[in-house]
Amino acid sequence: MHEGASLTHMMTVLVLQLAVIILAAKSFGFITSRFLKQSSVLGELIAGMVIGPFALGSIPLAFLGGQSLFAIPIGADLPVSPELYGFATVASIVLLFFSGLETDLKTFLRFAGTGSIVGLGGVIATFLLGAGSAVVFIPQVNSIMNPTALFMGIIATATSVGITARILSERRKLSSPEGVTILSAAVLDDVLGIVLLAVVIGLVRSGRGTDSDVDWGLIGRIALKAFGFWIGSTVIGIILAPRITKGLKSLKDMGTLSMVTFGLALMLAGLSELAGLAMIIGAYVMGLALSGTDVAEDIRHRLDGLYNFIVPIFFCVMGMLVDFSVLPKVLVYGLVYTFVGMFGKIVGCGVPALTMGFNARGAMRISTGMLPRGEVTLIMAGLGLSSGVLDPGLFGVAVMSMFISSLIAPPVLVKAFKGGSGFKKSLDTKKSEDLKSISIDMPSVSLADFVMTRLLTAFRQADFFPRRVGHGNLVYAVQKDAVQITLLRDGTTITANVPPDQETFVRLLLTEEILSLKELFRSVEKVAGSDAMERDMLGGLF
Amino acid sequence: MNLKKVLTRDAVMIGLIGTSKNEIIKELVGLIVKNGSDLDEKSLLKAVFDREAQMSTGMKNGIAIPHGKTNDVSELHAVIAVSAVPVDFECLDKKPARIFVMTISPASHTGPHLQFLAEVSGLLTRDDLREKILAAENEDELLKIFLQGQA
Repeated sequence: MHEGASLTHMMTVLVLQLAVIILAAKSFGFITSRFLKQSSVLGELIAGMVIGPFALGSIPLAFLGGQSLFAIPIGADLPVSPELYGFATVASIVLLFFSGLETDLKTFLRFAGTGSIVGLGGVIATFLLGAGSAVVFIPQVNSIMNPTALFMGIIATATSVGITARILSERRKLSSPEGVTILSAAVLDDVLGIVLLAVVIGLVRSGRGTDSDVDWGLIGRIALKAFGFWIGSTVIGIILAPRITKGLKSLKDMGTLSMVTFGLALMLAGLSELAGLAMIIGAYVMGLALSGTDVAEDIRHRLDGLYNFIVPIFFCVMGMLVDFSVLPKVLVYGLVYTFVGMFGKIVGCGVPALTMGFNARGAMRISTGMLPRGEVTLIMAGLGLSSGVLDPGLFGVAVMSMFISSLIAPPVLVKAFKGGSGFKKSLDTKKSEDLKSISIDMPSVSLADFVMTRLLTAFRQADFFPRRVGHGNLVYAVQKDAVQITLLRDGTTITANVPPDQETFVRLLLTEEILSLKELFRSVEKVAGSDAMERDMLGGLF
Repeated sequence: MNLKKVLTRDAVMIGLIGTSKNEIIKELVGLIVKNGSDLDEKSLLKAVFDREAQMSTGMKNGIAIPHGKTNDVSELHAVIAVSAVPVDFECLDKKPARIFVMTISPASHTGPHLQFLAEVSGLLTRDDLREKILAAENEDELLKIFLQGQA
């Protein structure tokens, strides 16, 4: 890029860039989450726009020899340096690895019914509307089989259910029939989006996604290959994962185990790219394979540090890619695209929900829950931009849709969940009765944390599948067959939200757990009460 | 949980003769040991008494649910029995109990135990069923009340 610039100089610039990115992302993220009550992701994205090459980042700096900090590399496809984009790429692998880890395939398969149909409806409707809008609004695009149209289609399908999960858990609605449906629909949404992405990338790479002469045989073969790679590696992964983790567990070092699994995720990401698919597909598959093992939660916990470091960089870099100068030209299409994306989710998810026993209110709740967009939208848009399928304007359109949807969704969602039952009158059975809340107060946060861990183990021993909902939320969905209980810790209070017919069961379980805790503390007291331990500890010191 | 899988003709009993908490527990454990194969009565008794020492399992409405967890059993064992006379079981409502539900479950696999108790407690909250249980004249009748009550 910079002829004659020494490697040291390049690395110095990179380090300074990372420093500015991290500081800006964290402060903007803090402001949006603390004062504007929005997802910190939006703040990180704005941070990138503000400090990026199209804004402050273009100001020449004297101490860099008159060069600007985020200078646009000459002759490159992207307005950021390859080194920086490398960080964003690794971050996208981390994001999708986590997304896979958070999916509980076993649980999903058992509760798939309503959720899959809702998810499928949303994906089909948004894909067609997204791709269709490209045909109508972009002059060079004449068919929805055009690569650009295909990309705009898959970008429109992505849902990020993390925001929904957080809002619903705060309002104790996560275990409602609508909440359960949203969570399982989101799983299908993720999986379908990934498979569609694989197919579209296959088509684009084969150079056969064109305006005319649609070769359906070729499309079929590519789709089959993409789907085959996905399902094949997922199945192999699910079979091998417990063995691999079992072997690794003998190391007795969870830190090493977590890093090794992440290494495997990078490996599979690279391999899937070589197989003609996208890297994030391999990362997602690796996460998915590990999600069923008993160390999934532990892996996430150990990789939290990595996540907190690299993911803000990702959102910030995505913000930097937004070229403001082209935005006015695509503003109208951006708004249309955002609108059809939301309309597609509402109709595509709402109509199936209506046929599955929900009334208009219930269908509205479910479809608004599917509105927020997040990292997957941006990753897909970034892939489109870096491969040249999307121009900077369309990338801006995708960012705009992610931004607006995520901004509009929370208040709409909160409003939708007010009022009565979401079931049709004829089907309004005890299922829609209000959930019972059982709370336990603990004297301190660390004790509450400890008790929470014990409770999750107790639920596991009672054949439930606890899984953490979204990143950074202290909310667990604990599922077994058709039953879902939510367990959340807020400060020192642990609350279980349970359907009425499970109240007895949960009360019994909590009682047993509290009794065994008391027993544990009594045994600690016995040891500690004698002072002998402390005296031994301090023995030789004074 | 389907009660049929756990409750058999041999797992219910009327007319327990004990008149104290200890005697009733011994009778119930004895019944479980008799129905099972190769169970260690001593370890089962210890599990139940250890649990009782933490907090009495006497509930309300004349019901008690003594239970224990031990890895000496590999699956859930349960019995339901009615005593001839009301027995003081240190119940929550301070009244004596006549209906006893005992479960012994593996320590690391408590799901079936809790499911069973939740299922049975659902039935025992019904006044009509409790009256029928106390009036049952033989084991067949008692078993029928639980299996039909669930249906």
